[in-house]
Amino acid sequence: MPLPAKAFQRWLHGIAPDTSTADVCRLSGVKRTTLAQQLVRGKVAEATVVSISRAFGANPVRSLAYFEIYHGLADQSILPTPQELVSQISTVDLLRAVIARSGTGTAPHTSEAPQAGLLALGPAAHATSVKNWVDAIDDGELRHRVSAAAGIAPQNYSAQLTANRMAPEVAIATSRAAGVGLTGGLVATGLVTEAEAGWEPGARQAALDMMPDGELAVLAGDRLQAMGKTLRRQEQDQEQTDMILENLG
Amino acid sequence: MIEILQWTTLIACGAAALSRIPNLVRKKNRSLFYVLALMTLAILLSIQGPYLVIDGLLGSTNLANLLLRFIIFGAIYFLGIRIANGFGDERGLRLIQGHAGLAILAVISVALLVLFAFMDTEGSSAGMMAVYARDERNKVLTEYYGAAGRAYPAYVCLALLPAMLRAVRSTLPAPLRISALLLAIGGIAVILSLYFQAIPPALGYLTYVINYTAILCFVFGLALIWLAKVRAGRNTMDRTGRSAARS
Repeated sequence: MPLPAKAFQRWLHGIAPDTSTADVCRLSGVKRTTLAQQLVRGKVAEATVVSISRAFGANPVRSLAYFEIYHGLADQSILPTPQELVSQISTVDLLRAVIARSGTGTAPHTSEAPQAGLLALGPAAHATSVKNWVDAIDDGELRHRVSAAAGIAPQNYSAQLTANRMAPEVAIATSRAAGVGLTGGLVATGLVTEAEAGWEPGARQAALDMMPDGELAVLAGDRLQAMGKTLRRQEQDQEQTDMILENLG
Repeated sequence: MIEILQWTTLIACGAAALSRIPNLVRKKNRSLFYVLALMTLAILLSIQGPYLVIDGLLGSTNLANLLLRFIIFGAIYFLGIRIANGFGDERGLRLIQGHAGLAILAVISVALLVLFAFMDTEGSSAGMMAVYARDERNKVLTEYYGAAGRAYPAYVCLALLPAMLRAVRSTLPAPLRISALLLAIGGIAVILSLYFQAIPPALGYLTYVINYTAILCFVFGLALIWLAKVRAGRNTMDRTGRSAARS
C-alpha cells in the first residue's frame, strides 16, 4: 500500500527541512507532476521515497521504515539466506559458474578464475529475480499464505511473479509469511540495492561459491529450462504476430 | 440519429478501404482492400438515398437488395478466411472454406434467390420495408429472406469467435489483443442479428445499432492491425537503415 501523504510530508521535512518541493524533485529526479499527483491523491509511492532518500544521502530502507507499515524494516538482524542470495544471481551468471567450475582443471589461469567470476556477477534484480526469490523461500505453501495474508488472488500473485513485478507491501508480506529478512523482496524487485538492504558486499558470490556442484547444476538446469519456456513462448507470440500482420495488415 | 450512424460508418469504412490502396498497388493482401470496398458498397446500399438511386438504375425491383446480400456474403467469406489464416485458426478455416461451409453458403444463397423470386418486389425501398408492409404473404417471405441473409455472416462469425476470444486472453502484444477483442465484439453483434425477429417493432432502432456496431468493430479492429503493421514496418526499415549505415 502506498504511503500516506501526511506522513510523507513529515518525513520529507525531517530529511530535507529547508528544501523547496521543486528542488527536491530536481535533486531526486522525481517528476514534479508525478509527486504533485501522488500528494493530491494522498498516496505516495515507495519508489518516490527511495529516490528522494538517495538524493539526500539517506538509506532508503531506513527511510521506508519511518512509515508505519514498514516499521519492521528497521530491524535488519535477519540476514538473507544463502538460497535468497543465490536467487538474486542471474541465470547466465549461474551457467557461467557451472562452466567455470567444470573448467578449473584445464584453464591456464586457474587462480584468476574465481576473481573473474566475482567481477562478472550482474546486479541483484535480474530478469527473473522476483520469481526466483519466491521459489528460493517457498516451502510449498508460501503462495497460499501470502495470498491469504495480503488479500491478493493466487492467480494475480502468480501473474506478478511471471511479470517479474511485485508491489513493495506484497514483497514484505511474502518475507513475513516465509519468515525471512524483510528486505529480500525489495532487493528482488529492484526497489533498493543489496548494499542499501544491508547485504554484505560479495555475499551473493560467497553463497554461490559455497554451493555444492550438484546443487548448482540442478538449479542452473531448472533456471535454463524456465528460460527456454519463456523464450519459446515469446517466439510463438512473435510468430503469431507476424502471421496476423502478414494476413491482415 | 440512425442516419448519422450510417454515414459515419460509411466514412470510416471508406477511409479504411482507401488506406489499403498502397497495399493494393504493391499487390499485398489485396483481398483486404476488396473486402473493405465491398463493405463500403454494402453500407452505401443500406442507406435510403443511395439505395433508391442504385436500385432505380437496376429497374426498381429491389434487385439492389439482393445484390447487397451477396456483397455481404462475399465480404464476410473473404474476411473470414483472412482472419482465420492470420490468427492461425485451422478449425475456423475448415468451417468456412471446407465442404460444410461451402454447402451452407450454397443452401443459403439458393434460399435467398428462391425467396426473392417468390416475393412481389416491385417498388424500390431500402431494407424492403414497402414489400414487408404489402401483405401477409410478402411479410412472411421478407422475414425469411432477411433471416437467410443474416444466417451466413452469423455462421462465419460463430466459426471464428473461439479463436478471437483465445487471442484476447493470449500474451500477444496489446494492439493485437484489442483488435481481436473488437473483432470478437463485431462477431457477437453479427450473431445477435440472428435474433432480430424477436426484437419488438418499438425497439427497431436496435437492429441498426447492432448492425453498424458490428461493421465499426470490424473496421476498427482491422485498422488497428494495419497500424501495428505500419509501425512494425517502420521499425524494420529503421533497423535495416541503421545496419546499412553501419556497414
